[in-house]
Amino acid sequence: MVNGHLAIDLVELMAATPWGSVASVDVDGVDEAEFVQRWAAASGNYVLMVHADRVELLRGIPPDPLEALAPERRPGHRLWVYTNFNCNLACDYCCVESSPRADPRAFGVAEFRDLVAEAAACGVRELFLTGGEPFMLVDLDERIRVGVAAMPTTVLTNAMLWRGERLRLLERLPRDGLTLQISVDSPDPGLHDLHRGSGSFERALAGIEVALALGFRVRIAATLGDDVGDGEARLRSWFDRLGLAEDCLVVRRVARQGAANSGLVMSRSSLLPEICVTADGLWWHPVAAIDPAMRVSASWRPLAERIGEVSREYRGYRLAGEIAASSFPCA
Amino acid sequence: MGNELLIGAVAYSANAVPIWEGMRDYFRDTAEPIDFVLFSNYERQVDALFAGHIDIAWNTNVAWVRCSRRSEGEARALAMRDTDRTFQTMFVGRSGSGLSSLEQLGGKRVALGSRDSGQARILPLHYLAEAGVAGDVELVIFDSDVGKHGDTGRSDLDALRSVLDDGADVAAVGINTWHGLTAAEDDSVTGLEVVWESPRYNHCNFTALDKLDAARSDRWVDSLLQMDWNNPAHRRVLELEGLREWKSAELSGYDSLIAAMEEQGIYDEW
Repeated sequence: MVNGHLAIDLVELMAATPWGSVASVDVDGVDEAEFVQRWAAASGNYVLMVHADRVELLRGIPPDPLEALAPERRPGHRLWVYTNFNCNLACDYCCVESSPRADPRAFGVAEFRDLVAEAAACGVRELFLTGGEPFMLVDLDERIRVGVAAMPTTVLTNAMLWRGERLRLLERLPRDGLTLQISVDSPDPGLHDLHRGSGSFERALAGIEVALALGFRVRIAATLGDDVGDGEARLRSWFDRLGLAEDCLVVRRVARQGAANSGLVMSRSSLLPEICVTADGLWWHPVAAIDPAMRVSASWRPLAERIGEVSREYRGYRLAGEIAASSFPCA
Repeated sequence: MGNELLIGAVAYSANAVPIWEGMRDYFRDTAEPIDFVLFSNYERQVDALFAGHIDIAWNTNVAWVRCSRRSEGEARALAMRDTDRTFQTMFVGRSGSGLSSLEQLGGKRVALGSRDSGQARILPLHYLAEAGVAGDVELVIFDSDVGKHGDTGRSDLDALRSVLDDGADVAAVGINTWHGLTAAEDDSVTGLEVVWESPRYNHCNFTALDKLDAARSDRWVDSLLQMDWNNPAHRRVLELEGLREWKSAELSGYDSLIAAMEEQGIYDEW
């Protein structure tokens, strides 16, 4: 039974709260928190955050911050899947600590089919497969075919394993609707190999040539560390010489996640979410798929509800941030 | 700064500012742009109207009745909210109290709001008198927001708290407060229920005196009535002010309050 004074306190509190400002009401237990949420929805106010002992309410209904995002940046447009966590490389900045010794934690084909079907049904428009090194899986082609049949699909790879059986696997893959995103961190082989392993630069370049020769759409992705210097400009010059379309280069900074002991600090409140699924659950973003603070749930099912949860949480962070910014005290 | 109509309103909460800035924005592109002045109480506002410092006052029902009497009937009600035509007072007791009429309140404790609140004090006393129990109830008074004519809702809420805390058997509150309390439609949570609800009566209106050119006030009302709930630019102001649609004024709904103020000898009292 909910405290009878709670509704009276709510009416008084929100009547005194200026439009667009935040008020906090103490609650004792789940029943009271749920009552506050029902009351807010019915009275034209907005629940910003639900904590264990209080609920933060915004006076009035604010414009939806998600509407301000380009459609392709909204949570639920993209879906990332870690197909596996083992890798032929052991990059020193790897955000999920992949290596040849890592537990593969492969995402099974049957579950992958379910996931993609549910993703398509709830409006996901782009699929990204990453790892680890996805081509470590000898049955990767099954997953790729499932993905491409449903929506445009990108596979992230170091392009170093395309020999023998895995080259034949590559040759069998569909060309339409599939992009191979290949990691090249620097046009300087020494700097690339310093982080990714000896000889990896030459083999990546060879892989790019193979993929292009087979008619695949190729995107280059670079991860730049603190030691990049003027490396980004040189990388872009090198990229221009490949003759690929301008939107086929992605450059990002090292994130302080996984094996990286420096780089950009990530948190749910500071990072635009991109829903990511692994064998271990559903995560806020693929760059933080082993960080316990970034795990949204142990299961991705039901996906639409999970996307809704992430969207609501992100909306709360954005609104709280805008309110904090609008009231930043100078003295 | 030019020839705008100057509207007076009482700052009963911090939201008076966004409401009237929103109104000023809306009227900027109409035939009669406005500016506004906020007062701390209705008495100051009415004085300013009669002194010619403002052109139109956004008045409570109590302020309107007094303006009408003070002007000897020459004050004009220009427009009101849809909710001002259907206002009610709700007598509220504990769930399961067994009370269902005013006549049953003899010998009971009745919590009332501020002495200048039409809905929570003046009209409730009138209804108790009509039911023949006015002299037989124990009044529990909450003069929490005198000067605001009950607009803050604070004295209504204090009266309701007293019922929950067993300081009173019944509280008389405005229907807007009751709707706010029961927005989640969960009576078991509030532990309160309606014992008796009053007939409908009128609440606020925009009041002008004869010295305001009728052609100007007509143009202004025409624009006011065009505010649209479905227009997001108008919606926030309408929500904050507690209406979906502005209506032209009608006066028969003030009869019960006029009678109450006469009975209680507070017609001219400020």
